[in-house]
Amino acid sequence: MKIGRSNINPTKIICLGRNYLDHIKETNAPIPTEPVFFVKTLNTLITDNKPIIYPKLLYENQAFNKVDHEVELAFIIFQTCKNISSRFAYDYIQGYTIFLDITARKMQISDRNIKLPWYRSKNFDTFGPIGPEIIPCIDIDDPHNLNIQLKVNGTLRQKSNTKHMLFKIPEILEYISKYVTLKRGDIIATGTPSGIGSIIPGDVIEASIEKIGTIIHQVLLEED
Amino acid sequence: MVTIGTTKIEPTKIICIGTNYMDHIEETKLDVPKEPVLFPKTPNCLILDKNPIIYPKWLYNDRKYNRVDYEVELAFIIKDKCKYVKKDDANEHILGYTVFNDVTARKMQVKDIISKLPWFRSKSLDTFGPIGPIIKEVNKIKDPHNLKIELSVNGEIKQSSNTSYLLFKVPELLEYITKFFTMEPGDIVATGTPSGIGPVQPGDIIEATIEKIGTLTNKVILEGGEN
Repeated sequence: MKIGRSNINPTKIICLGRNYLDHIKETNAPIPTEPVFFVKTLNTLITDNKPIIYPKLLYENQAFNKVDHEVELAFIIFQTCKNISSRFAYDYIQGYTIFLDITARKMQISDRNIKLPWYRSKNFDTFGPIGPEIIPCIDIDDPHNLNIQLKVNGTLRQKSNTKHMLFKIPEILEYISKYVTLKRGDIIATGTPSGIGSIIPGDVIEASIEKIGTIIHQVLLEED
Repeated sequence: MVTIGTTKIEPTKIICIGTNYMDHIEETKLDVPKEPVLFPKTPNCLILDKNPIIYPKWLYNDRKYNRVDYEVELAFIIKDKCKYVKKDDANEHILGYTVFNDVTARKMQVKDIISKLPWFRSKSLDTFGPIGPIIKEVNKIKDPHNLKIELSVNGEIKQSSNTSYLLFKVPELLEYITKFFTMEPGDIVATGTPSGIGPVQPGDIIEATIEKIGTLTNKVILEGGEN
C-alpha cells in the first residue's frame, strides 16, 4: 500500500490503549504499569481521503450504534526486529504518521464487560485511516513534543501534545518486540489523548499532528 | 508468504474462534455463546510442521506466567477476496483445510481476561501458531464436520474429539466473519478447540492430527536452549 510517497507492506497493526495521561485522568482509569496493546487487522486501512464506512449492522442496532474517533501518532517499522533495547529503538523506525483508531464503542464496551476479546469492534473495514505521509525519523527531532488534534465538522474535539504519552516510543518498541517479531512496514499506534467522541454519517474528520500533516475523511453510511 | 505442504499462501490475518466445541463448553460449564467469539493472531506466530515452538525464557522464568497450552483446531484457508458471504456459498470461498495449534500463554491470558484487557500478547508470541502439514483442498473433504481431531503430547493422547461437535459450523463462521471484515486470499480461520487442553514443557513433542488432513508435529524448546 501507498502512504503519501512511501510504499509499505505491513503484516500487522499493533495499537496501545490508555497511553495519554490527560485521557487517563479524564476517565479516572488506573495508570497502567505496562503498555496495554491490541491488534487491528489490515482490512481496516484506508488512505487518501477515502471514506470511513459506517456499517449498517451497527447503525441499525441500538445496542451498537456508537462509533468513535481516536487520533493517534503511529510509527512504522524499518526492519525486522525482536528483543530491541529501548536505547536502539530509533534504528528500527522508518518514520511517523497519523492513524485513526476508529472504534465501535458500544460494541467494545459490551464485549469487554463479558470478558470477550477487543477485536470485532475495532476491525470493521475502513476503521483505520492512515496518512497523509510517512515523515522520516530524522525529520522529527522529538516525537514526544508534537501537537496532536482532531476536528469533526470544523469543531475541535481532541487537542493534546505527544509529550503526554505515558509510555514513550522507545519503551513501546522494547516492550512489543519482547513478544512479537516486527517486520518492515508494521504499524504501531501509540494511543489517543482525551476528547474521544462519536461520529455519524456525513461527518468530516480532520486529524492533524504537527510536522506530519492532516488527514481528512468523511463518514458515510454503508450502502446496500 | 508461507508454504504449507505444497501450497503457498500469504495470509493477511489469522482469525480464531473461542469456545466453539460443545464438549469443551460442557466440560468447562461455560455459557453457550450466542454468536461466535472472534480474536486475532498475528502472522509472526506461524510456523510449519516439524519446526520448534519456542517457549520464551522470560515467560518460563516468571511464575505468574509460566504456563503454555496447546489447542488443536481445524483451520480453513480463504480462497478469494470476499465480504458478506452467504453460508450456502461458503465453499466457493474456501481453498482448503489444515491443522492449527493455537498455542496460548494461559496464565497471561487468564490475567488479561480478568482485567478486561485484550487477548493479544498471550496468543501471538512468535512460533505460537503451528500450521500444516498440508492444505487439503475443499473438494477432497466432503464433510468437514465429521472428522476425528486429536492431540497427543509425548505420545499420550490429551485431546480427542470430532469436528461434529463444532457449535458454529464452517459456513456459519464464514458468513459471520465476513459481516465484519473483508477476507483476503490466504487468510486463516481457526475454528476453536475441543476439550482436554493442558500445558506443555520444554522438550515435549506435540502431535496434532485431523482425519483426512494429517499430523502436525512440533517440539517445544526453551528459548536459547539446545533441545
